[in-house]
Amino acid sequence: MPIEVRNLTHVYMRGTPSEVTALSDISFRIEDGEFVGLIGATGSGKSTLIQHLNGLLKPTSGTVLVDDMDIWAKGSSLKEVRRKVGLVFQFPEQQVFEETVFDDIAFGPENLGLSEDEVKRRVERARQMVGLSEEIMSRSPFELSGGQLRRVAIAGIVAMEPKVLILDEPAAGLDPRGRNEILGNVKRLHESGLTVILVSHNMEDVARLCQRILVLDKGRLVADGSPREVFTRGDLLRSVGLRPPDVVSLMERLRQKGWKVRTDVLTVEEAYEEIVRELNGKG
Amino acid sequence: MPGGVIIGQYYPARSFVHSMDPRAKILISIMFMIILFSGNNFYAFLVVGIYAAASIILSKVPWTVVLRGLRPIAFIMLFTLVLHLFLTPGPVLFQLGPLKATWSGLVQGVFIGVRLIILILFTSLLTLTTSPIELTDGLEDILKPFSRLGVPAHEIAMMMTIALRFIPTLLEEAERIMKAQMARGADFESGNMIQRARGLVPLLVPLFVSAFRRADDLAMAMEARCYRGGEGRTRMRQLRFGAKDFLAFAVTLVMLVLVIYTRVRFGPVISPGTF
Repeated sequence: MPIEVRNLTHVYMRGTPSEVTALSDISFRIEDGEFVGLIGATGSGKSTLIQHLNGLLKPTSGTVLVDDMDIWAKGSSLKEVRRKVGLVFQFPEQQVFEETVFDDIAFGPENLGLSEDEVKRRVERARQMVGLSEEIMSRSPFELSGGQLRRVAIAGIVAMEPKVLILDEPAAGLDPRGRNEILGNVKRLHESGLTVILVSHNMEDVARLCQRILVLDKGRLVADGSPREVFTRGDLLRSVGLRPPDVVSLMERLRQKGWKVRTDVLTVEEAYEEIVRELNGKG
Repeated sequence: MPGGVIIGQYYPARSFVHSMDPRAKILISIMFMIILFSGNNFYAFLVVGIYAAASIILSKVPWTVVLRGLRPIAFIMLFTLVLHLFLTPGPVLFQLGPLKATWSGLVQGVFIGVRLIILILFTSLLTLTTSPIELTDGLEDILKPFSRLGVPAHEIAMMMTIALRFIPTLLEEAERIMKAQMARGADFESGNMIQRARGLVPLLVPLFVSAFRRADDLAMAMEARCYRGGEGRTRMRQLRFGAKDFLAFAVTLVMLVLVIYTRVRFGPVISPGTF
């Protein structure tokens, strides 16, 4: 189920002195099964953009197409769009409210009007997807640790069985272990067939996980390409307030020192191989 | 969400009234109410009305903004007018079925209505020309003498300041949680009263949880900066009465004298034997 955005512009507080253009003339198309990273400095419009993809915000101009249907056209159901496009907000644990973990994960599926058995099946599947133990399902969500609670919140969206999953900084504020667990979950969800859009500030995470990267700067789409294409453009990234992954910076500096290494490496392993190759070649 | 929310109804401008001491404005508003309610005839209203109109002109707040304050009470005014019209005994003006409208009822109703209009117009000037922070500062100072009687003046003012500070924050938070729940298929708009009230649970529980957490953090942050209540605390904004304030008090006293004069000279608007 592809998602497409055509000439999307969004203006907050239109017609008042505090009018702000948050997005201007953005176009892209995301196909089934892609894993897309959305990066940009704070205030670049990332959150505004993703809220358009499931119809929480209405474009000031331009169109959003989910499954090649304009979601704001007459006869289009926003509820249906939100079922297909799951959006996990930043710090999603703050939206948890039910008395037990099970009830909270079931909130979404119940809103879809599913039968009790189907709700149970989906909650169970979502629980396994995010790796929560069975015994915590009957506990109060307010007794859980931050990382566990975040997984409960993500499971709440996964249980609605969307086709596309959008996550806004899913690992923000977690310790390294919680981070790895959450990102591992996201990877697993993608492998299970979901289209994933990941918003992140962490270039290493994006470089490691995503197949395609969109870069936003002041409401404009300034780059759209594979991690290798985007991350080798160190100057562009720095000019929009980001920085390339550490390994890319390392390779850039080695090149400045006269080493003949490639700079389009994305992981430590690749960098290691490249450096070893260069050293051997020298030797 | 950029932009932000305007709290209260403060209308920023540079004017005589804006630059007055907030304590003077609060005290004069109280005096004004007492004087207004001691006026018992239309001549008194003429005096008080001129005073109120002059204040509004001096404040440079546009009339359209001031008059907007009347909208919420329009219904109450109409209601009291009708009640007075039909329920006051006296010579009959016209008859509507079993209901008798009387002359004295009409006069009484109009009298109460005019009093309400003047009251709302003038008192709204206080919040229109005084920022919430100034208002709480002024209130704290006025309540201070009562702290001997156990009134926690500083604490009340601090509570008001904090509450005002967090209104926009909580509104923003409510919007964010609402969107998060809408992404989970929650519906805040349709259904009957009971369904809608139930639909608020997913909004209110997280909102309260986060408000309590915020309160905890704020208390900690204040203690970390050595906050120990109002005792011995100095102020960055010192309040000082100036010539403007004394002038305003003087004019208010003149108005009081004039209103007392109309009471003695003309008597109540409706007295036994008016009709």
